[in-house]
Amino acid sequence: MKKYINKLGKLDRRLIFIIIGLAVLIPLLYPSLLELPIKIDKNTQIVFDSISSLEEGDKILVSFAYGASTKPEIHPMAISLFNHLFSKGVKVYIVSLWPESPIMAEQAINSVIESNLFNIENGVDYVMFDYKVGGFVVIKGIADNFRDIYKQDYRGKSIEFLPIMKGINDVTDFDWVFDFSAGVPGNAEWVQYACDPKKVKLSSGCTSIMVTDAIPYIESGQLQGILAGMPGAAEYEKLVYDYTLDQQNKNNKFINQDSEIKVGKAFSRMSAQSVAHFVMVLFIIIGNISYYYSRKNN
Amino acid sequence: MEFNLEIVGVWFLVLMTLSILSYLVGDNPFYKISEHIFVGVSAGYVFAITWWDQVWPNLFGRLFPNYVNAGFDLDLFYVVPLVLGIFMLCRLIPSLSWLARISIGYIVGMAAGLKIYVFMNSNILLQIQNSAIDFGKNGWEIFNHILILFGVISALIYFFFSKEHTGLIGKISKIGIYFLMIKFGASFGFAVMGRISLLIGRFEDLINYSSIEYNYATPMILVFMIIALGFWSFFTKEENKNN
Repeated sequence: MKKYINKLGKLDRRLIFIIIGLAVLIPLLYPSLLELPIKIDKNTQIVFDSISSLEEGDKILVSFAYGASTKPEIHPMAISLFNHLFSKGVKVYIVSLWPESPIMAEQAINSVIESNLFNIENGVDYVMFDYKVGGFVVIKGIADNFRDIYKQDYRGKSIEFLPIMKGINDVTDFDWVFDFSAGVPGNAEWVQYACDPKKVKLSSGCTSIMVTDAIPYIESGQLQGILAGMPGAAEYEKLVYDYTLDQQNKNNKFINQDSEIKVGKAFSRMSAQSVAHFVMVLFIIIGNISYYYSRKNN
Repeated sequence: MEFNLEIVGVWFLVLMTLSILSYLVGDNPFYKISEHIFVGVSAGYVFAITWWDQVWPNLFGRLFPNYVNAGFDLDLFYVVPLVLGIFMLCRLIPSLSWLARISIGYIVGMAAGLKIYVFMNSNILLQIQNSAIDFGKNGWEIFNHILILFGVISALIYFFFSKEHTGLIGKISKIGIYFLMIKFGASFGFAVMGRISLLIGRFEDLINYSSIEYNYATPMILVFMIIALGFWSFFTKEENKNN
């Protein structure tokens, strides 16, 4: 037994890569092989309840600060959030703080439009703005004077002619701020430069790696819940899916009755995530036992 | 077989993804090429988007409002950032590089000034306020608050170097290490989760592009790369032997 464990501890790293690769690939190829239940985390529930508390005509500022590299984690959250917001008739204002973010925001909004679930109009129900360089300086600018930063929307149309922009001057004119981030600027900058000083409520959806740094803000109430990486995305997706389905049955005026509501992508990715984690934990345990034995022998 | 711009894009995407993943078997020409392309494209994209989305409308749009129609009025104050920007570029001219210090000084001063207040407010004062124990809550929540408070104090004591870590301070700082280790463990766990998520995203694309719709992009490129890498490793081995 000891011999085998020692051998396992000296496995070629390329073999480990292949095993991890297969652990991810097989559940993606055959999703029906393993269907694990999803338990809703407290923080995801807080985000869902917070967004659910918004009413028709309320305004939400959605900040995109992620790119292609972190798309698998955050993009499903963005699509679910838009579905949630449009099903309640909330006005959406999209700003981009990363160079690739306008592409991500456009893709997210396009997938909502293509689903035909809502009758939304650019400039009336939502508006998108270009990427602005400066990170926290842009956030500070949005907090103090939105119109000084943005004069035109993403299509180059003056904001003076957009009905949705009526009454928007600074961050306090929004009922909520939602941040999607994968680094800096991210939720910390929104807390520090805009939402804490101006007392505007903020929620966030971020990459897994940012979660531990964001937790103190949640505990203190500076952040109203967080969607934590892919599990957070899957949980929120499930909540929004159940909600929109229920609302469609109740003839919600914002949801088209003849459109099909589909489950998002994060939900189906969770099996692969779980299997990969299981394999990694197994490797960590084997590695530690093997290390223990090799140290004992020496 | 159909060929259009989308399919060319997909083939390139698959080639770049597999080239980057090929690093797992070692450094190789596919990885090197894709790495260089990535750096070049990223730099070019960021430069172009910064120029057209920020510098052109926000700076020149205010200095030449009739020429750059960005919705701004004439504001001569923006000559200052223009000059500071030019000073920054003076770093490229050795005899004038000292001018860049003025711009850097402005950036550092402005950033420090902005950061001090917000950091004090959000990360220190509000965090201290919320570390206080609320005895109005139920038993478990009070216990949680006490635990957090103790964790904060013990971790801070670990970083207190003005007194030797012996006796009571030594014991508390040791407990602080355990709290820090739990934090690092959680961060590592989340980091692993993030990386697996990225792998899932790449694999999903590779699976999607394996279909006939994209002319079997993934299997075709994968086979081509395996053969090419096989030849490459064979010839480099021969070369190394000869050397």
